[in-house]
Amino acid sequence: MGGHREKDESDAALLRAVAAGDSAAMAALYDRHAGWLHVRLTRRCADPEVVREVLQDTFVTVWRSAEAHRGEEAGGWLWTIAARRMVDARRAQERAARLETTPIDETRTGYEPAAAMPSAEERVLAGLEYGDVGTALDRISPELREVLRATVVDGLTTRETARLLGIPEGTVKSRAMRARTELRAALAQLTPSPLGGPA
Amino acid sequence: MTDWHAPDDLVARYTDGSLPDSDAWSLEKHLESCTGCATRVSRAVAATATGAVLADVRQAVVGAAPTEQAHTAAAGDGLLAHARLWSSRHLVPPVADSRWARVLWAAGPAVRGAWLPAVLLVGIGAMALAYGADFAGARPLLLALAPVVPVAGVALSFGAHADPLHELTASTPSAGLRLVLTRTAVVLAVSLPLLTLAGLALPSYGGPGAAAWLLPGLALTLASLALGGWLGLRAATAVTGGGWLCAVLAPALSPPDGAVSAALTHQTSAYLGGAPAQGAWAAAAVVCAALLAARGTAYDRLERR
Repeated sequence: MGGHREKDESDAALLRAVAAGDSAAMAALYDRHAGWLHVRLTRRCADPEVVREVLQDTFVTVWRSAEAHRGEEAGGWLWTIAARRMVDARRAQERAARLETTPIDETRTGYEPAAAMPSAEERVLAGLEYGDVGTALDRISPELREVLRATVVDGLTTRETARLLGIPEGTVKSRAMRARTELRAALAQLTPSPLGGPA
Repeated sequence: MTDWHAPDDLVARYTDGSLPDSDAWSLEKHLESCTGCATRVSRAVAATATGAVLADVRQAVVGAAPTEQAHTAAAGDGLLAHARLWSSRHLVPPVADSRWARVLWAAGPAVRGAWLPAVLLVGIGAMALAYGADFAGARPLLLALAPVVPVAGVALSFGAHADPLHELTASTPSAGLRLVLTRTAVVLAVSLPLLTLAGLALPSYGGPGAAAWLLPGLALTLASLALGGWLGLRAATAVTGGGWLCAVLAPALSPPDGAVSAALTHQTSAYLGGAPAQGAWAAAAVVCAALLAARGTAYDRLERR
């Protein structure tokens, strides 16, 4: 397939070649990043069909927008595209669900962070093993955690988070606020020193 | 960035989905900026059951380049990309190009439309009269007409009657007095040098110099803009331009002794010649500018006529 390029060719160089229409460069870029993007998407979306679609959409978008890449980290850049595609897919799904007049609660469960979540024991063990922040994160409720993940880790806006999770924007804001308070409280419990709060 | 890289067991647990959220999040953040670890994770994933899906999508993605939805669009994009690449290496940046194009577009409905040919016609007509028809009054005639030219340009520059996009333009933050002044500046920048050069090229038989019309032209333009705050720009320019033409041309065109060119010279000398007249025009220009500054907010409202 001609996907074997020199290992040391940078992502930026690959993206420039992709912008010029080079399929081999695209194949190389795909081999580097598609795997972890797939895992990351799978952790956020339970439906493997949707994950597959979003992944494909992401790289098809790369064909068109590689030219617009301005030298930032290629991984982060790719994730930004993938996250937006995921929000779009979520919206399309919701629209379809609305057409089928499915109750909203049911469409909500289409997004199941629990599917990829570890068992309770594992969580406790990991908390002990990996330290305070992990434990504190595990103490806050899954609803708050998914809001934190979408806004803080995935870099989505409030509106995009609302679409992704199928909740109103106001709820996203209040949950983000509550997540912060609870995290702070959990960390304060874990670390008795008053200065040991969250950074 | 840092020397830290994901240990193998972390990669393995992330790949099989058993890594708790907090650790997964920090690894995901790391993968965004570390291509090395990203490649390792991707390779590990490709070795699992997901590998088949990845290979399928890979084929679709790589195949999407020349064949799929928009062969032509892609080719066009490619050409454009090449052109942009080329121009960014060899010329000014394309952003600047389009910005200039936009400025030119915004600057002058008058310059785009019939006004520019009219300016040229006045200049060339005066030349033709002087050299072709041997008309001695060509320069006075040019001096008499010249102040009206920028006024006409201003009339054609702003307002619902002149600008097909006026409603849109008026709703932008830079509309209002600022836009009117920008367009006036463009009109002046075009007409002043053209007409003054034409005046210089004409033979002189006494009378005021070729640049004598500049202050009156400026004063009339400012007067139109200031009046425009009350009357609307079109009516204002009709008043000032028409008034000037009546005052200068009407007596000259029906002279008692039939010598049109001599009468023209006399008229333009009376209005333009000498320090007192020029001083009066300068004073008028200052007064009109002050009026315009006081009345400038009138241009912020949409013209209703």
